[in-house]
Amino acid sequence: MPDRIERELALEASPTAVWHALTDHDWLAEWLADEVLLDLRPGGEAWFRFGDSVKSGWVEEVSPPGAHGDGRLSFWWSESEECATRVELVVSGDEESGRSHVRVTETRPLEILDLVGLRLPGLGGGSYGPALVAA
Amino acid sequence: MTDDAAGAVFGALADPTRRQLLSAIADRPATATELAGALPISRQAVVKHLHALAQAGLLERVRSGRQVRYQVTPAPLSDAVSWMARVGGQWDDRLAALARTFAR
Repeated sequence: MPDRIERELALEASPTAVWHALTDHDWLAEWLADEVLLDLRPGGEAWFRFGDSVKSGWVEEVSPPGAHGDGRLSFWWSESEECATRVELVVSGDEESGRSHVRVTETRPLEILDLVGLRLPGLGGGSYGPALVAA
Repeated sequence: MTDDAAGAVFGALADPTRRQLLSAIADRPATATELAGALPISRQAVVKHLHALAQAGLLERVRSGRQVRYQVTPAPLSDAVSWMARVGGQWDDRLAALARTFAR
């Protein structure tokens, strides 16, 4: 993939606790942005304020860590006219040992459409994003 | 861009002298000798830095006669590189902040 950021972080906390840090509005406001609103369901609205600027978008996937595997939160965001990018946060680890691993990936798969001259509508319109991914 | 290539880019841009060289070359393509004349470092050191920048895919060598001139690689890569540097830096800060909320 041409444009991709990947970062990892090890934490001395259980996957459940880390998942809380990734999904609780107050906790998110301590590290992700100054203010965060996430409607935690596929297609739900996502809104982030960084100082004077705002990123908005929608939620793609919300699956808490559990017996079935890693926790996974993904959403799309963009700032005004910018091309939307996809953020994925994966929490893995072990409840017993109280150790977790967070992997964040940000990609901009839509950039290629922009390069070939396709004008992308903004993400404010709600249903556009999920429809595009389903297509 | 693969993760290895991205790592090479960040490695290359981590050094202030290399950032200075890249910015000089972005203004105007130049030879190692010209760059050494403009900076307080030896030509040999300039060549070493240019090699690192070229390895990371940020610069390309263009031969003209007996001279080798360096220029920045075309726009799509530069655009990708600046996006990656900006967004990567933002996540470094955010994850550091996340780690601090657990350290309390």
